[in-house]
Amino acid sequence: MSSTPFSLYIPRDSGMHRLHPLTKLALVGFALILGLFLPGDWLTYLAFVLVILPLAAWAGILPRFLPAVLKTALPIVVSLFLVQGLFWPGGTPIFHLGPLSLKQEGVTFAIRSAGRFIMVISSFLLLTFTTRPDGLMLALSRHGVPNSIAYVMLATLQIVPRFQAKANTILDAQRSRGLETEGNLFIRLRALFPLIQPLLLGSIVDIEERAIALEVRAFGRAGPKTSLLMLHDTPAQRVVRWLLLLASLAIIGWRVYLGLAA
Amino acid sequence: MERLKRDFSTISLVMIPVAIAINIAIGQLVYTLKLPLYLDSIGTIFVGAVAGPWVGALTGLLSNLIWGLSGLNPAYTAYAPVGMIVGLLAGIFSQLGWFKVWWRAIIAGVITGLVAALISAPIYTYVSGGVTGSGTDVITAVFRNAGFGILPSAFAQGVSSDPLDKAISFFVVWLVVRGLPLRFLDRFSRAEDLR
Amino acid sequence: MIQLTNVTYSYPRAETPALHDLSLQIPAGQFCAVIGANGAGKSTLCATLAGFVPHFYRGKLSGTAKVAGIDIAGSSLAELAGTVGLVFSNPFNQITGARFTVREEVAFGLENMGVPPAEMAPRIDEMLRFARLSEQADQSPYALSGGQQQRLAIASVLVMRPKVLVLDEPTSQLDPIGSREVFSVLRDLAATDEATVFLAEQKLEWVAAFADRVLVLHQGRLVADGPPAEILASPTLSQYGLEPTRYTQAARAALGAGFRPQHPDLPVTLEQAVEFFR
Repeated sequence: MSSTPFSLYIPRDSGMHRLHPLTKLALVGFALILGLFLPGDWLTYLAFVLVILPLAAWAGILPRFLPAVLKTALPIVVSLFLVQGLFWPGGTPIFHLGPLSLKQEGVTFAIRSAGRFIMVISSFLLLTFTTRPDGLMLALSRHGVPNSIAYVMLATLQIVPRFQAKANTILDAQRSRGLETEGNLFIRLRALFPLIQPLLLGSIVDIEERAIALEVRAFGRAGPKTSLLMLHDTPAQRVVRWLLLLASLAIIGWRVYLGLAA
Repeated sequence: MERLKRDFSTISLVMIPVAIAINIAIGQLVYTLKLPLYLDSIGTIFVGAVAGPWVGALTGLLSNLIWGLSGLNPAYTAYAPVGMIVGLLAGIFSQLGWFKVWWRAIIAGVITGLVAALISAPIYTYVSGGVTGSGTDVITAVFRNAGFGILPSAFAQGVSSDPLDKAISFFVVWLVVRGLPLRFLDRFSRAEDLR
Repeated sequence: MIQLTNVTYSYPRAETPALHDLSLQIPAGQFCAVIGANGAGKSTLCATLAGFVPHFYRGKLSGTAKVAGIDIAGSSLAELAGTVGLVFSNPFNQITGARFTVREEVAFGLENMGVPPAEMAPRIDEMLRFARLSEQADQSPYALSGGQQQRLAIASVLVMRPKVLVLDEPTSQLDPIGSREVFSVLRDLAATDEATVFLAEQKLEWVAAFADRVLVLHQGRLVADGPPAEILASPTLSQYGLEPTRYTQAARAALGAGFRPQHPDLPVTLEQAVEFFR
């Protein structure tokens, strides 16, 4: 049975890793705002090089971070250039490919969208790779996020790998019993139901016991809760978080001033 | 308020991680079987049906957040509002008693799919330039070629897959609910809406 | 410490009550075991002592049930959590899932009770030593064996210092080695004389080894109550769907074959069997 949580966190002893989870969240939030609100076609790429890459390098995770970004971005970027580049209605052709042609406007749009998308996914990946999920949830629950949400997030990370394993076991078992999982669409669709049933019903029976186990451990108790895990915060980081928030608001303000189409 | 507290009981909170794990496990199973569907919200719809729209909405929201933040598919995080709406609608249709009859569950699924397409289209348009990176982008291309804007084309792409996908998902949840012992359904706050 | 007066309980939608007019007093420090066939009401009784009957399962409870002076029906699960600890059969489902290491898993209950972090660490270390899990402290709870997970469940509950520990067939889903590990922890617990323990169990040899007192449940009714040597050697045991320990069975067979022991008392433990056959 798998005991690794469903998370791509990479433990490292870096300055980035040691930051308070909220500081990391603020950094990633700022990067996300840059991706979503920077105007023009190329500024997001500049932000990727000047903000995301240095942070990933500081965290010592570049060799695993870059392939992950590429793997996620590639299908979207390829699709973008194909769909919007080749089929832009009434665009100016710049390059002919048989009956199709690449349009100037489509390519510009694809470049702009790809930059935005890459910033969005690399921000999230940066957070995932450098932040312990339990530390992040603890920081959030200290700042008003309900404890139950923290429970749900962390429990999910540990349950998912077990369900993936269970799903594969059920798939193999059904196949060895002669269930057809290849063939036409209808056959494959019909194969799905015997797979879903044991997965859902089997786990539903366990839910009662898991709820009882939580109640026994005073999960439902009101009043202040404490934590074994310690978070280290510094006044400097608090200042940085406020500055990042202001900078994010400034970027949004700038974009609104320029107009959303800019 | 009292109702909300009952909805968010410990057993509902324990159900949410399981539901999200079901979303992800079945979503990947469907992918393995190379079906032109997602079926990645069956857990969310189940929670909406048994624990009401608010718990359903939370499940959908967290499902996308976690799926995205786990690093498997970071873009999912951006579509969290879609997951939220699916859970919310499943809860509302359950309140209306639409999970009691199979064909009503299917209609509820179709409506939910249409709403999901409506909400995801602007997100796709802004975050990923109107494409999804999957095979259904062909539909976007056809609509673009016919002179439609990016947003309508993205919506057309959604309409081509979401209503069918959600109709099947709602039907599966109807089947599951029908197969559950009453003793278990009784644990949830919305049992009386279901059977 | 535990006081039941005319307790009758029916699950929702059930026709017959699961517990029938139960009255019972258990003093502090006693290690009390309840035995009975499947469906006799052992689990329901455990759930009642921990407050899950009626607060979780709903249904209809009459009579009064008090633990450590607290009226069960009149309080909530959150109030009872620190007072009564419950451990049940499935070790896997008792892991909260919200913590990544064994140490943090033990901390979970203390965190919810708001115990200061400085006080938490020594309590957790002591408990991990008691449950023989110190070496596993930094592992994932999911990486442990079934027996280790069950000891973790016991440690996680005991660390909250409950007045009463209720164990509902804690080894029924474990292999023999895992069961023995769990029982050796329970034996240590029985030896302290401070803990009030209520154990539902099918393995009568273990019950004989360290219970101070044995109750027999049959179809929701309390049908016998006394010291282990008396109850477990009683010929009526089989009437309630229970099989005597192998020591008792061997002694009976020997008596039937004409063996005349010096002490006529039927043995229920290994030590007593040695005496019997001397």
